[in-house]
Amino acid sequence: MSRDNKATEETQGVTRRGFLKGASFAAAAVGTGSLLPPPQTASSQNEEEVLILGTEETKIALTINGENISTEASPSTTLLDLIRGPLDLTGSKRVCDRGSCGACTVLVDGKPICSCSYLALDAQGKNIQTVEGLMVGDKLSPLQNSFVSCDALQCGFCTPGMLMSCTALLEKNPNPNREEIAKGISGNLCRCGTYQNIFEAVHKAATGGGK
Amino acid sequence: MSKNADKVKITVGFEDHLKEISVKINDNDVLPYQPTDSFDEVGQDRDRLDAIAKVTGAARYTFDRKLDGMVYGRILRSPHPHAKVLSIDSTVAKKMPGVKAIIEFHEVFRTRAVRYVGEGVAAVAAETEAQAEAAIRALKVDYEVLPFAVTKEDAMAEGAPAVASPNSSNVIAPRAWGRSEKEQQAHLEDQKAETDEAFAEVKHVVSGNFSTQVQVHNALETHGVVCHWQGENLKIYASTQGTFSCRGQATSSRGPIKARNARVLSEYVGGGFGAKFGLRREGVAAAILAKKAKRPVHLMLNRREEQTDAGNRPDSYQELKLGLDSKGRIQVMRAHSWGTAGPGRSGAGARNSIIYNIPKIDKVEYNVRTNCGEARAMRAPGFPQGAFALESLLDMAADEVGIDPVELRKRNDSHPIRLAEYDMGAKMIGWRKNRNRNPGGGKGAIKRGLGCASNEWFAAGGRGAACLIRVNKNGHVEVRSGGQDIGTGLRTIMAQVAAEELGLGISDIETFIGDTNDPRCPGSGGSTTTPSLMPAVRIAAHRMAQELLTLVAEKLKWDIEKLTFKKGAVVRKDDKKLKKTVTFKQVCALIEGEVLEINEKRLANYGGFSSTNSGVQFADVEVDTQTGVVRVKRMVAVQDSGVILNTKTAESQVRGAIIQGVSYALFENRVMDRQKGHMLNADLENYKIAGALECPEIEVKLLNVFNGKNNTSSMGIGEPPIIATAGAIANAVANAIGVRVMSIPITPKKVLEALKNKGKRK
Ligand code: FES
Ligand code: FES
Repeated sequence: MSRDNKATEETQGVTRRGFLKGASFAAAAVGTGSLLPPPQTASSQNEEEVLILGTEETKIALTINGENISTEASPSTTLLDLIRGPLDLTGSKRVCDRGSCGACTVLVDGKPICSCSYLALDAQGKNIQTVEGLMVGDKLSPLQNSFVSCDALQCGFCTPGMLMSCTALLEKNPNPNREEIAKGISGNLCRCGTYQNIFEAVHKAATGGGK
Repeated sequence: MSKNADKVKITVGFEDHLKEISVKINDNDVLPYQPTDSFDEVGQDRDRLDAIAKVTGAARYTFDRKLDGMVYGRILRSPHPHAKVLSIDSTVAKKMPGVKAIIEFHEVFRTRAVRYVGEGVAAVAAETEAQAEAAIRALKVDYEVLPFAVTKEDAMAEGAPAVASPNSSNVIAPRAWGRSEKEQQAHLEDQKAETDEAFAEVKHVVSGNFSTQVQVHNALETHGVVCHWQGENLKIYASTQGTFSCRGQATSSRGPIKARNARVLSEYVGGGFGAKFGLRREGVAAAILAKKAKRPVHLMLNRREEQTDAGNRPDSYQELKLGLDSKGRIQVMRAHSWGTAGPGRSGAGARNSIIYNIPKIDKVEYNVRTNCGEARAMRAPGFPQGAFALESLLDMAADEVGIDPVELRKRNDSHPIRLAEYDMGAKMIGWRKNRNRNPGGGKGAIKRGLGCASNEWFAAGGRGAACLIRVNKNGHVEVRSGGQDIGTGLRTIMAQVAAEELGLGISDIETFIGDTNDPRCPGSGGSTTTPSLMPAVRIAAHRMAQELLTLVAEKLKWDIEKLTFKKGAVVRKDDKKLKKTVTFKQVCALIEGEVLEINEKRLANYGGFSSTNSGVQFADVEVDTQTGVVRVKRMVAVQDSGVILNTKTAESQVRGAIIQGVSYALFENRVMDRQKGHMLNADLENYKIAGALECPEIEVKLLNVFNGKNNTSSMGIGEPPIIATAGAIANAVANAIGVRVMSIPITPKKVLEALKNKGKRK
């Protein structure tokens, strides 16, 4: 459910303020995504003041593309917003913000996850790889190369997420067939329609053609 | 154009359908590419120049822009399908943390009416996205809620509430082309009477009522801008299909922004599909918020907003009837259609009368206003819906007449290109061998079927584009035009066309697009970017080559008429050896001053071989008669787009259009709550788009047609291939199961219902 819907739902059932009184802010953040208001005294609707706990910026240490990073973020920050925001790695995209398109896919300890639906705090101490970390030195990875030569991208907006899903797939299954590739990227949507080119690119990278 | 310019003979056509025509070449222009020309760059398989930026995450889209001091804009949207905004109370919102500016839309856009759920009402700019979101929720709007109609049926019902305004009718009369109301009435009656007569005379009559759904563009990058005022000038990063139309809007003295000058930048655009022209309300709001806040404003729609307030392909209900003679030649057609355009009047017509030769046509299109998000052009507007219905009916006619569906099409089509394409495509799909001879029969739950449909488009382009080429004394070449690339590969073909004239490789050339400080380029609509811009690139590059060759000819006393550039050096056109090797770089060193610049405009089109481009598609499907699930196994497309400048990127366009067409035929559907006017699936899991698992095997044959319409003979290819796909799939489904689904998307439920009813009817 999108934020707009959520808002109506919340005002219909429990008011948001009432809800926040009864539950921890972090729990609310999981449900509603990353755009919830940051810590504030919520005195907007009427005069009564509500103290919201646990919203202070918290230290987060993680490894991104091989680099140890220590930064701060409020507990409601998603991993996607952390990497796109303060870390300025804007390759990963926000398209649906609710785990249904894969444009925000990054690898957490080698596993592909939707970073829009993953709290930055949960990445504490983990190894994150984003599209910016795919290059090997100053060379494109074989998969990146074959994406280029197979024209596996048009507008390119889904491409970073696709590359991350395909990287994870090849790690698990070094020689996937068409159907296995399709399954591997079935969580990634491409509106321009590059799927067949991606099948060809993954196949090419797997069979050593992407070098 | 000089009056006594002589006509020259050029060869036009394709494969073994070549002919000579004489044309008067525009002053300054180069002869269109000829079949005898040899190419090093044009027509080759080239990787896109911006692919590396896209696979490394380095490409910065509008969404990715971050400027110093930038704040975030959010729009408050109406929860009512029809209402009047009485007042907006922003007392609380103003005081909220981080809030920098608030605007009320009725002040900016001069209307208090909201006509669908999700139409903007006010906007806020705040330090963070979260603060902006919190602030719009704190705005209190007093609405006068008005009666509304969400579906065509409701809007057309007796006593239906006025959707847009009390003095506009919900059903918009068909275009009168200058006829008075009375004349129009008479015209429609005549048209009907004439066709009635024709129907009475023909041997075969087939008819059917078809419907299509609302499709939402859903480009992955949503609409939006980053606006940055520099004094009275405005810099706009925009996710747009028309950089210059945004610039025009920002600087218009009649618009609300009124910038003294504007520079629009669109280096990368995350898809468009027809919906991204102009700044739209979100762009205007961002510009005004930025002015008020005195800070750059980033305002991008979220997915729900993209689905509800950023355009869609209208739905349609089409009543179709065809009359054919005993040989299967169409004599007469009736096509009456109704489509929802949202509250506006934008074209919801279903286009279906241009491909085949039909002597008498009674065609009437009604646009029906509804309190839903507004229609906008979407990839071949009107055509996929029209083609789905007509191509379905053609197959029904073939059954009735008792001839093969491809044969029926050939008997009614006189386009020389398409006539060749039918045979090529039929061979590729194995039409004779693989078509189901016993539709719905045989053993097993899974039935296979084949279907065919065709397309036609008008992508010859036109004037209005220009290109600037700059060559440095050190040999560096830059090619510039201010247009945009929405995913087609514009940079790459610009480099190919320029490189061909200059005897260079594309890696020797740097191309710049997406900046309105560079020469004008029209918007990317109608598949015209390529055919509009490439001729300008070619003239500019050609003239640059001539100027450079003049330098060397003068210096070495060579005859310039005999010289050209090839593979990085000056050579003789007749292949004879020059006394001395002079490289491109050495020639550039002769440039006086630092740089040589040429800016050239595109000239008018020539008559050429064909003003339209055509294609034929074949679908091979499997239908599970137990579950109703349709799987498109294979699609074959034969497509003409003039001279293909880059086979790789052109083929990608066709593949992409087919996948979008499969998605349209089987899955996509905007679902509205008729009671409340809300879109129920404004996301990407319930609004289903074809994914990798639904992608068929696609085989594309690009026909290289020397059409002679412009000096590159190129045409656009983004839109035409989406037209035929749904029709081909629907026909294949009918061939598989022996009964026809008359509406798209062809969902399992509809398939099962059709199968059930088939039993009954027999
Ligand atoms: S943005 Fe994360 S899955 Fe769509
Ligand atoms: S390339 Fe445009 S969305 Fe995939």
